[in-house]
Amino acid sequence: MKYSFTHALGHFIVNDNGEIIGTLAKPDAKLKKLPFELVQCVLENFKQKKYFAKLYSKNIVITKKAIKESVNEDNLIVQTISTMTELDRTINLFTKRLREWYSLYFPELSENVSNHEKFVDMVLTEKRPQETIGANMQQKDIAEMIKLAKHIQTMFRLRCEHETYLQTIMKKYCPNITELAGVTIGAKLLELGKSLKHLAMLPASTIQLFGAEKALFRHLKTGSRSPKYGIIYEHQLIQKAKKKDRGKIARVLADKLSLCARLDYFKGEFKAKEYRKDLERKFG
Amino acid sequence: MKPIPHKIFGIYTDKRRIYTKNVFPGKIHFEEKTVKDGPIEYREFDPRRSKLAAMIMKGCTNIGIRKNDVVLYLGSSHGYTPSFVSDMVEEDGFIFGIDPAPRVMRDFVFLAEKRNNLVPVLADAFHPETYMDRVCAVDIVYQDVAQRNQTAIFVKNCKMFLKKGGYGLLAVKARSIDITKKPKQIFIEVRTQLEKEFTVIDYRILEPFEKDHCMIIIKK
Repeated sequence: MKYSFTHALGHFIVNDNGEIIGTLAKPDAKLKKLPFELVQCVLENFKQKKYFAKLYSKNIVITKKAIKESVNEDNLIVQTISTMTELDRTINLFTKRLREWYSLYFPELSENVSNHEKFVDMVLTEKRPQETIGANMQQKDIAEMIKLAKHIQTMFRLRCEHETYLQTIMKKYCPNITELAGVTIGAKLLELGKSLKHLAMLPASTIQLFGAEKALFRHLKTGSRSPKYGIIYEHQLIQKAKKKDRGKIARVLADKLSLCARLDYFKGEFKAKEYRKDLERKFG
Repeated sequence: MKPIPHKIFGIYTDKRRIYTKNVFPGKIHFEEKTVKDGPIEYREFDPRRSKLAAMIMKGCTNIGIRKNDVVLYLGSSHGYTPSFVSDMVEEDGFIFGIDPAPRVMRDFVFLAEKRNNLVPVLADAFHPETYMDRVCAVDIVYQDVAQRNQTAIFVKNCKMFLKKGGYGLLAVKARSIDITKKPKQIFIEVRTQLEKEFTVIDYRILEPFEKDHCMIIIKK
């Protein structure tokens, strides 16, 4: 009995005892494929120094190609949502600093305007009235504050642009998840599930508890009460509901989200609107 | 103090730290410290970053890795430990580093371009049939993958690629196998599982360096 075996080193003909009896220029379709048990015997033959250089160069080429092809929408979505969360943190930090700093000069503004974005805009546009408890300052001291405010404003704009970009790629890549969960939660689910493929393979109970790993492992280890929801807690349906209904809604929502992930990955039809209506009728 | 040869082949020691002799002097990849002795350069092997180094620091007498060996390294990650194994087997040795994640493989490819005895293979170690057409039989199987089914992966790969009389090194992370069980109980379970197939020659808990980890060395 003869078998064919394709290796990075070439195409070989192997007999029943796992010995190489010949080489081929290209794979022969007539010959049977090598059974699993004989592979080990064949691989023993390649453990020689003369083959190492070829193995090295072939593998480098294959791996480089595989890395090049591994990038897809998942990576883009994960990078964008990570940048957005980091931008949020940075903006918050810097705006708090600006509030402290600017309050030396004009404390009433920070007191009256609680919205961060509005506050930064007003620092750049509004002039200080005459009556204030803030200190009088030289122009060069105020200019430094204005510089910081300008940078924060561009960061707000950047975040806005990222959000619209994320919305367009999410709607194209996973329309069902985006419709049911919204852009931010959907992207965060993809981030935690590593990829849409992996997310589609996961059970709904895992999706329900994404982002609550700490509480889940505490529950498994010490027997404390189990968490009811993770990242999907931010969803509007759960936010609006009464406290005692929240666990139930989280369970149903996660169930529907896992269905949506499967629809998106296996290129099914668009059903998220029905699911959304169902949920709203039940719990709305 | 100059590093002197350790009882394990390829390892040098100055009684407090361990080193390997750099096969490609002048090339440092992970910001590790170096000691120079004329033309010879020693790279420090940090037991807190590598389970193999931790195993050596715990007093293991035989890790099985020798000059000119061919190694199958499952879970190569960024390539910290593989770079030291590549020092141990020297230029004529050969190491296949296998990892399923493209992100870490990217770093490993850059490392492999600098050290020509490292070979990157982007594949899942649980499916040896996907990369059996790219590797050859090996003398050593080293595994550090932190997966739930890591023992099954190890047995599968040892049966497939390890030559008779070759060594296998398995780093067990108890917390990835089962978080509810006690680590020691898991180590014993893994050990009895391996004893059915191979002979276990060493078993050590890597306590001060790695929490809830152990390493088992087997011989086929």
